[in-house]
Amino acid sequence: MPAGRPGPAAQSARRPPPPLPLLLLCVLGAPRAGSGAHTAVISPQDPTLLIGSSLQATCSVHGDPPGTTAEGLYWTLNGRRLAPELSRVLNASTLALALANLNGSRQQSGDNLVCHARDGSILAGSCLYVGLPPEKPFNISCWSKNMKDLTCRWTPGAHGETFLHTNYSLKYKLRWYGQDNTCEEYHTVGPHSCHIPKDLALFTPYEIWVEATNRLGSARSDVLTLDILDVVTTDPPPDVHVSRVGGLEDQLSVRWVSPPALKDFLFQAKYQIRYRVEDSVDWKVVDDVSNQTSCRLAGLKPGTVYFVQVRCNPFGIYGSKKAGIWSEWSHPTAASTPRSERPGPGGGACEPRGGEPSSGPVRRELKQFLGWLKKHAYCSNLSFRLYDQWRAWMQKTHKTRNQDEGILPSGRRGTTRG
Amino acid sequence: MSRREGSLEDPQADSSISPLPHLEAKIHQTHSLARLLTKYAEQLLQEYVQHQGDPFGLPGFSPPRLPVAGLSAPAPGHAGLPAAERLQLDAGALSLLPPLLDVVRRHQAELNPRALRLLRRLEDAARQARALGAAVEAVLAALGAETRGPRPEPAVAAAAAAATDAGVFPAKVLGLRVCGLYREWVSRTEGDLGQLVPGGPA
Repeated sequence: MPAGRPGPAAQSARRPPPPLPLLLLCVLGAPRAGSGAHTAVISPQDPTLLIGSSLQATCSVHGDPPGTTAEGLYWTLNGRRLAPELSRVLNASTLALALANLNGSRQQSGDNLVCHARDGSILAGSCLYVGLPPEKPFNISCWSKNMKDLTCRWTPGAHGETFLHTNYSLKYKLRWYGQDNTCEEYHTVGPHSCHIPKDLALFTPYEIWVEATNRLGSARSDVLTLDILDVVTTDPPPDVHVSRVGGLEDQLSVRWVSPPALKDFLFQAKYQIRYRVEDSVDWKVVDDVSNQTSCRLAGLKPGTVYFVQVRCNPFGIYGSKKAGIWSEWSHPTAASTPRSERPGPGGGACEPRGGEPSSGPVRRELKQFLGWLKKHAYCSNLSFRLYDQWRAWMQKTHKTRNQDEGILPSGRRGTTRG
Repeated sequence: MSRREGSLEDPQADSSISPLPHLEAKIHQTHSLARLLTKYAEQLLQEYVQHQGDPFGLPGFSPPRLPVAGLSAPAPGHAGLPAAERLQLDAGALSLLPPLLDVVRRHQAELNPRALRLLRRLEDAARQARALGAAVEAVLAALGAETRGPRPEPAVAAAAAAATDAGVFPAKVLGLRVCGLYREWVSRTEGDLGQLVPGGPA
């Protein structure tokens, strides 16, 4: 008799397929009296096995006339004929098969083991499910969009390759009371994700975990505990506009609007800006834009197209001290700096993190100086903004003077006008 | 069947008695639908065999082509029958296919739950078979031929609730057979309607 080793949870994990009535016997040719038709039965039928295990199977032929011989029968697995030495005739009507060290199933619907008559016709089939039990899912992360829902994603254990269909179920419950709930909207942001659209409580922790089940067993992730308020994200800031700052060749002004969905949440938002030159893949990031909805980028190259994006992090929602989760970046907005013969000096309210090397130490020292001045010299009105205004005035003055004196670019003295 | 002169009785006759314009349009429309569904049925069959694994889909694979719940492939002599009789057989077959396709879809939902496109195609095929069957019956009615009238659901749909488990391989074979029958009957319907289209093959 067959000695395939189904896994411990094989019987309970495997649900029987929808019932298929008598018509199936018609499909595979139930013998009619005197018809001369043969059928067979393979045993075991649809076994579940661990990778590397062995299988003993039999094909028992019934037919008309009775006493049909097993001679000439042969096996195929997934369409490939199996070597004769793997088979042996057990008795007049039964052919046995021995397979060792099975590989994982080629398709999730099962490997097709078929018993053939001498003429190649199909007598019977059985589907083998060879794989591994699931490993523990891990790395669960969740976020809430505007506190209205919760989306979670996770990583399947063993990179998900069990060779068997494995079902993942995201479960959640309120930590101190309530029943287990099961998420129902799967694959919303990738193959291992689920979306809970509504009926979520605030100010109270949830426990969240993932259960993985297949024909060979099940596994459960560690429990993640979180409060919805601590994992809030929002939409990217809308209406991002980038424009020139007068004639300043090295600056662009960025303006945006706070995401409207957050206006009811009584929070502060942090923003981050990133920008890059048109034909570059390297983004420069401006941190610490705080609660402003505008920023001026400085130290840029004149006559250059820049792409700019902004994102938002809601924090301080309902008094929480924790930062939220950064939104997606806004759609890129482009603008170009005015052309100039001279390289633009550094400066501006928003300093690039990986900014122009020549402006870095200067600005740091200036910042320190301004801070010291405010403390010791009671110059409360001093700020970078004031410094920028001074720079802009200096450039304007310098241009006007050059025009009056007919000074050409690169410092050459040329002929005067007139 | 009501006896009338013209192409209803004699599939070889030309269209010397022209159908009314709206009937002609209806035949055209149904023929176009059948042509489209023939293409979809072919795609369904290809998608189906892909998900069952070899030997399904291999050139030499041929499980027994026996009737399924009383539905067989079009008989070799089908093309020689009178037009109305052919269309009646087409309509009859198309009415038997939807519950069979539903059974196959439910089974594939267990076997291949991630094969979303296959499941969608099976669901669409059931709906399309009903639509084409109804359209063919409308053509028959317009031609003055007898139609089947409403039939009780085939035994397979009711028996699907029975607690039997015939095995995965037979279920795969059933699905192949049903998808094959669906393709054959839709294609046959296209051919039969094509003979009624003015200017179509005699």
